[in-house]
Amino acid sequence: MKEILAYPASYWQTMYEIWLIISIIIYLVVFIPGLYFLIKYRYKKGINEKAQHVKDSKALEVLWTIVPVIVVIYLATQSFAFYKVQRTAPEGSLEIKVTGFMWGWEFEYPNGKKVYSFFNSVANPETNAYLKPEEVNDMFKAYIPAETPVKVLLTSRDVIHSFYVHPAKVMEDAVPGRITHMWFQINKPGEYWVFCREYCGTQHSRMAAVLKAVPKEEFEKWLNEGIQVSDSNTSTNF
Amino acid sequence: MAAVSYKPYFSAGLKEWIFTTDHKKIGIMYGVTSLIFFIIAGLSALAIRLELFQPGLQYMSEDSYNQALTIHGVLMQFWWAVGIWSSFGNYLLPLMIGARDVAFPRLNALSYWFFFAASVLALLTLLPGNEIRMLWTGYPPFSLNENAGPVAFYALIVHLLGASSLAGAINLVVTNLTMKAPGISLKKMNLFLHAFLAMNVIQILGVPALAGAVTMLLMDKYFHTAFFDPTRGGDPLLYQNLFWFYSHPVVYVMILPAFGVISEIIATFSRREIFGKTSMIFAIWGIAILGFMVWVHHMFTSGIPDWVRIIFSYTTVLIGVPTGIKIFNWIFTLYKGSIRFTTPMLYILSAIFMFLIGGLTGIPLGLPAFDIAVHDSHFVVAHFHYVLGMALTLAAFGGFHYWYPKYTGRMYSELWAKIGLVLIMIGSNLFYFLQFIVGLEGMPRRYADYPPIEVWITLHELQTIGSIILGLGLFIAILNLIVSTKLGRKAEDNPWQSPSLEWLVPSPPPPHNFDKTPHMPEDWDPYNYEWLEKQYKK
Repeated sequence: MKEILAYPASYWQTMYEIWLIISIIIYLVVFIPGLYFLIKYRYKKGINEKAQHVKDSKALEVLWTIVPVIVVIYLATQSFAFYKVQRTAPEGSLEIKVTGFMWGWEFEYPNGKKVYSFFNSVANPETNAYLKPEEVNDMFKAYIPAETPVKVLLTSRDVIHSFYVHPAKVMEDAVPGRITHMWFQINKPGEYWVFCREYCGTQHSRMAAVLKAVPKEEFEKWLNEGIQVSDSNTSTNF
Repeated sequence: MAAVSYKPYFSAGLKEWIFTTDHKKIGIMYGVTSLIFFIIAGLSALAIRLELFQPGLQYMSEDSYNQALTIHGVLMQFWWAVGIWSSFGNYLLPLMIGARDVAFPRLNALSYWFFFAASVLALLTLLPGNEIRMLWTGYPPFSLNENAGPVAFYALIVHLLGASSLAGAINLVVTNLTMKAPGISLKKMNLFLHAFLAMNVIQILGVPALAGAVTMLLMDKYFHTAFFDPTRGGDPLLYQNLFWFYSHPVVYVMILPAFGVISEIIATFSRREIFGKTSMIFAIWGIAILGFMVWVHHMFTSGIPDWVRIIFSYTTVLIGVPTGIKIFNWIFTLYKGSIRFTTPMLYILSAIFMFLIGGLTGIPLGLPAFDIAVHDSHFVVAHFHYVLGMALTLAAFGGFHYWYPKYTGRMYSELWAKIGLVLIMIGSNLFYFLQFIVGLEGMPRRYADYPPIEVWITLHELQTIGSIILGLGLFIAILNLIVSTKLGRKAEDNPWQSPSLEWLVPSPPPPHNFDKTPHMPEDWDPYNYEWLEKQYKK
């Protein structure tokens, strides 16, 4: 079996495959008869100059009402089942608070440690070009433990933002005055993007952050080192 | 019905155009305004595509990119996708029901001039200092921010357009219900008329919600009320509910008339009546009613309770059923027909098969388990560009070509129209299909710049090439329509041999439409092609 990179992306993947197969079947069910009729019943001089009268068919109308109803109800119910898992953080999740602002993200860990990522921390200071996640300065990276579910409590300081974890294929809006939630788990250590997915003005496209998934022990070590330094430094900057 | 001598449109003076209450002239004015704004919005789309060709900002700043997005969205939605149907409705509806004009001709002129005033305001936002950068959605609290631009402009534009739509919709509904010529019953109305009836009813029910939303926004920004501002106890999600309560049904305002055009053209060129006409009518009204029960799928990730999302996921996917019924019936209209592959037919066949892709990719967006990963990604953008950018636009262009001889009395160039279509199809499929894939890869919407992920770069490059081909195709198609008004050969009154009433008057129709009120005989039906042949034999 293929190793699963991230949760709840695997549920999305299954939903995607189910939908894709059904859609291709429906497309062919419409396209093939359509093409056949277009070729067979095209106007030909002397052979097919006049259309034949065809009576409406109640049976057909009922058929293509009932079958689609069953298909879409099935899809919605399947989605319901997956969605419950996608929205419910497993027990023992690490809980972090994420606050969006124009334009950047604040990550707050249970012990009070904070990490800030700003729109210019994902850009090359000289050329202003968008960086790759590995090239971003380590102090702007939000560390998370690999193979551990992370629950995110989201809010915003100014306008609506949206927190989208690229590998986990999951997002939720950060709404000022509300606390929303989501969860994800990344299994493979590495560096991954987080993007803002709700339009929030000039630097919307730079409102990204890097998640660094590391083994659990390394994460614990990082979490407990230099709390005050990182916190006060970035706070005054901000 | 005998032809009388009358003045064609071209010879009418400026004064005659400005003060006209003739539904045909107003229809043409709507069409021209709509097309001009379609071109402006198209050019802003090209600017967006060029900027996305490579990561980094090459041609414009973030702010001008966001302004281009706003212009493209607002103009395409309100002026093209909604506005163009005002043109078709005004011109054709009275002709199809055998009426002299609409029920309230002066109100009709007022509708157009409201639309025109909104157009002027929209052009003023292009001036420096007036830029609006809050997108066509204008979500607070962002729109309450300085960065968003003058909200008052936007609110006034929406109010003018809303007044125009409401007056126009009431006018066409009353015209339809009260002015049908003897012999044309609800049952004998063609599907174009049914679609326009449903579409106008949606407008009447929906516009007040949007008008209310932008008014509250305006008051929040300038009069310090607190409907949407969370720092003073308001709720930004209230705006989203009000906004989408109109702005989701409005997509059916856009697409139902396109369905009407498709039905007319596919029946005419298959030379037989629409298959399952009764269930088609039920499907139109099914879409109109269900359309008001699905708006929350635009807010699936906005922090509303999960159980609400589940309920709206069921209503959302159910709307696929009446839409499917329409597609199946169109396909079976081809069955045992005698199909003519004329230009309008090719346009609307393309529209049907592109709509099918747009529809099938709309279903997963109604499934929260799928939507959670692609909400506000390029997947959504591709979905509604298949529906509106392709199906609707192809249907509208199919309609332009189909009724062209009626509007102008001349024929367009078949060759150039077909070249245009081929380019449009190649360009837009290259463009929008890859947009699905870049969306599935995670590319967020409304990004002026994006990180150097290799797949994204390749996909964006190909999309930009597609968009240029698409632009070329549209340019050829539009140019052909313009040039042919002078150079096209003279058209007959009924070149497509349709028994629908608009084809039984001369091309272009005289100012009074009908010499006397037509009395349609018992055996007449807008899709009864044999009836027409019998008339010729007589």
